[in-house]
Amino acid sequence: MATDTAAPQIDVAPPRGWRTWFTQENIITTIVGLIVAVAVIVPLVALVINSFLVLDDLGFDTEWGLQNYRDIFQGRVIKKALINTAIISTGCTILATLLGVSLAWINARTNCPFREQLEPFNLIPFFLSPFVGAIAWHNLASPKVGLLNNMAKSAFGIDFPLFNVNNLWGVIWVTGIFFAPLVYLFVVGSLRRMDPSLEDSARTTGAGLLRTTFTITLPLVTPAILSGAIIVFVTTAGEFGVPFKLSAPFGWETLTTQIFTKAVGDDANHYLGAAMSMVVGVVTAFFIWIQHRIIAPRSYTTVTGKGFRPNLIDLGGWKWLAFAYNVFYVCVAVVLPIICLFFVSLHKIWSGRIIWSELTFWNYQKVLFFWWPESIDAATNGIINSFILAFGGASIAMVVAIIVSYMIHRTKGYGARVLDFLSVIPIGFPGIVLAMGVLVTYIKTPIYATLWILLLGYITRFFPYGQRNISSIMMAVSEELDQSSRMAGATWLTTLRRITIPLLKPGIFAGWILLFVIFLRELSISIILYSAGTETLSVGVYYLSNFENEPMTSALSIAQTVALLICVVIFRKVAGKEALTA
Amino acid sequence: MSENNYLQVDHLVKYFGDDRAVDGISFGIPEGKFLTLLGPSGCGKTTTLMCIAGLHKPDAGEIRIGADPVTSIENRINTAPEKRNIGMVFQSYAIWPHMDVSQNVAYPLEIRNMAQSEIDDRVAEALEIVGLTDMADKNATQLSGGQQQRAALARAMVFRPRLLLFDEPLSNLDLKLREQMRVELKRIQHEIGITSIYVTHDQAEALVMSDEIIVMSKGHIEQTGGPHSIYARPVNKFVSDFIGVANLTEGRIVSNGGGGSGTIEISQGGESVQLPCLLADGLAEGDDAFLSVRPENVDASRQPKDGPRIEGEVIQSVFLGNCLDCRVKWGEFEWKVLAHSRERLRVGEKVYVRLDPDHTLAVRP
Repeated sequence: MATDTAAPQIDVAPPRGWRTWFTQENIITTIVGLIVAVAVIVPLVALVINSFLVLDDLGFDTEWGLQNYRDIFQGRVIKKALINTAIISTGCTILATLLGVSLAWINARTNCPFREQLEPFNLIPFFLSPFVGAIAWHNLASPKVGLLNNMAKSAFGIDFPLFNVNNLWGVIWVTGIFFAPLVYLFVVGSLRRMDPSLEDSARTTGAGLLRTTFTITLPLVTPAILSGAIIVFVTTAGEFGVPFKLSAPFGWETLTTQIFTKAVGDDANHYLGAAMSMVVGVVTAFFIWIQHRIIAPRSYTTVTGKGFRPNLIDLGGWKWLAFAYNVFYVCVAVVLPIICLFFVSLHKIWSGRIIWSELTFWNYQKVLFFWWPESIDAATNGIINSFILAFGGASIAMVVAIIVSYMIHRTKGYGARVLDFLSVIPIGFPGIVLAMGVLVTYIKTPIYATLWILLLGYITRFFPYGQRNISSIMMAVSEELDQSSRMAGATWLTTLRRITIPLLKPGIFAGWILLFVIFLRELSISIILYSAGTETLSVGVYYLSNFENEPMTSALSIAQTVALLICVVIFRKVAGKEALTA
Repeated sequence: MSENNYLQVDHLVKYFGDDRAVDGISFGIPEGKFLTLLGPSGCGKTTTLMCIAGLHKPDAGEIRIGADPVTSIENRINTAPEKRNIGMVFQSYAIWPHMDVSQNVAYPLEIRNMAQSEIDDRVAEALEIVGLTDMADKNATQLSGGQQQRAALARAMVFRPRLLLFDEPLSNLDLKLREQMRVELKRIQHEIGITSIYVTHDQAEALVMSDEIIVMSKGHIEQTGGPHSIYARPVNKFVSDFIGVANLTEGRIVSNGGGGSGTIEISQGGESVQLPCLLADGLAEGDDAFLSVRPENVDASRQPKDGPRIEGEVIQSVFLGNCLDCRVKWGEFEWKVLAHSRERLRVGEKVYVRLDPDHTLAVRP
């Protein structure tokens, strides 16, 4: 047999490889990679550049300078907004973390009654619009028109407003209850995956139940708690709708409400808006970087991936308190707001109390019947546009997500690492910040004032969510399944069509619906990029709230909420229980 | 001679970063034979297989199947994997979970646009060969490991490829099934007479199945030969150590008697002994070498016998029924000895170690 053991040493340099480069795989992945790179990087670069352009007093010309940043840190209004943002983000993070961790612990580790029935309700706020939540709480607990305040007055004769959400506390309250599921999702997964022997061995040393919980269980899930807390902090810092509705009209501005006025207001100043966006973006990106680099990698070192069924903690009589606590959360976060919005929407004029004799569906006609001449365009346009954007956006974003995930996990080399990095960046920048970047980038192009610019903003900001859904499955699916298809004679595209994508189907559906939900309620990108005719659902709600009245606002809010709740049901059917906790 | 080989690999080089995973290796295999690439993990055997499959692109070298140069970096040829007509069985079986067994096996034929009737016939035939006829409608997830293995084999051979590649296909099976599948795989390969390349780190697997074995380490070929010659005549320390169990100790060639035999001197604690041995190719008088002898070719007894004398102390003696597994300490060196069980050597006893000169080898370092 001819074998040559003493092969001569051949001198070959490490790979260069431009030779047989033009394959289906290389061409398609490179094109998508470049599009993603341009879509993500260009707006951020434009943002940086614009933030150093200073508008002169007449508002016509610009020059280079740092005046925008000086305005932020020295100007009275903006500096106060910056401080308010810091207070709200910190307060919301504390409240959401307390709520999220306690609810996760009750559901994952105790014998709280009906916890399996309660769990889906704990997650509902995750799918709903915090902006709508703010509108609901405004109608529940503002001093004059608050339903709760008026009920307290008529029932107990309390003459002063019991609650007041028109301040920073109100913003913290609403964002806190709406973002608690983010912490919940991070923590509940860790708690369920935890090796019960870690707790059992603590028990054998004589530590009691509560002591074990506080000295072993919670410290072990600290990385998950921190991850959730950081995500909440960053989300709150970029939250626009809640402070816009609850606190801004009463003198409590935040950076996001200020960015909004600089983007579209009467004294529009894109350059100052860009600088403010930079300040928010730098902070949030820094926190996300810490989460991604330092905290997330640790969350799996103490928690094994095996499917344990940990021993449940018997709370004894206290379990009913835990149950009551959980029910209370579901009430304030889901049930009360929806009921309140529903009743408000049935009135022609809302005065803070339900007038049973005057209930009507007239508002729904005004905001939903797009064929009716008296309908309000901003609302009816919003419905149509939002469904177009949600459907198209989710579809395109998932295609991008599949190809990007494929590149990250199935191709080796520099491109994979660059893309991995690129698909973390958008998570680090709140929607309103990225939207400012998109605005200053494309304002002078034909896509401005069309649905395309909204689509671009949505996909750029949110495709990483779909990508994470796909990636988690792709990592679990052996590359050999693809390779064996190639060996069987199928081309790269055929393999993608017949093997890779069918295997990813559950992840693709789950990711698609998640993005559909996000796009259907999206506010902070839309509010910057919309123009007359390209309103979205949330922009419609904003419009009604600003220029019409509370009952009409509530009617559209209810319509949006119903659509979102239907998505939640479908999501749970398609994706199963564990899909979100991954 | 290389023209007679059905598969010929020449000067193959593959880098991972700056690491030269395959370092210019060349080998070939005649049609219908079963070749095994054997080596520890990281030796480049799987990379070599992936280059043959077309799933990795080498940085230099040529691969020819029959008259078809599928890879020739110099000539800018690198045929896509799907165009090579090679069947491959993967370590994880890679049975597609969203298809049933017959759909899995039919897939390569559908890709080739065959008529449905012919697809049915071929699938039935392939499943028959691997003994899965009853499992045709089962989903991949319902199959045991061994059954998935058979389905993967059926899928790899159903389109009558030019070559069959196996990437550690048995490593995920339990020991008993593994032993059974070794024989089975070899039987099927022989039955369909397809040229096969098999990658494994399990030397027993290689010895049982192969016509020819290539032992690799660090991207190089260490030795090539049939199972018997690889086991009985390792040429260097690595192969001797990697295949089976061997007593290996440093020494020096003191004479070359011609005809491949000579004498090696080994020493321990000031004590030297010269032993007749067979010399590996390329060893000359005065060269540093290793003495290599398998435990079954070493005997230990209380009474000295003729020939060179090595006296040591029994430090371990385990009764295995047909023989005694002993360790005999000689200076710092411990001889592994399979002694006759009637000797009943006990720990602490002084014994004489004797090496069978016909199986005592001097190998390259």
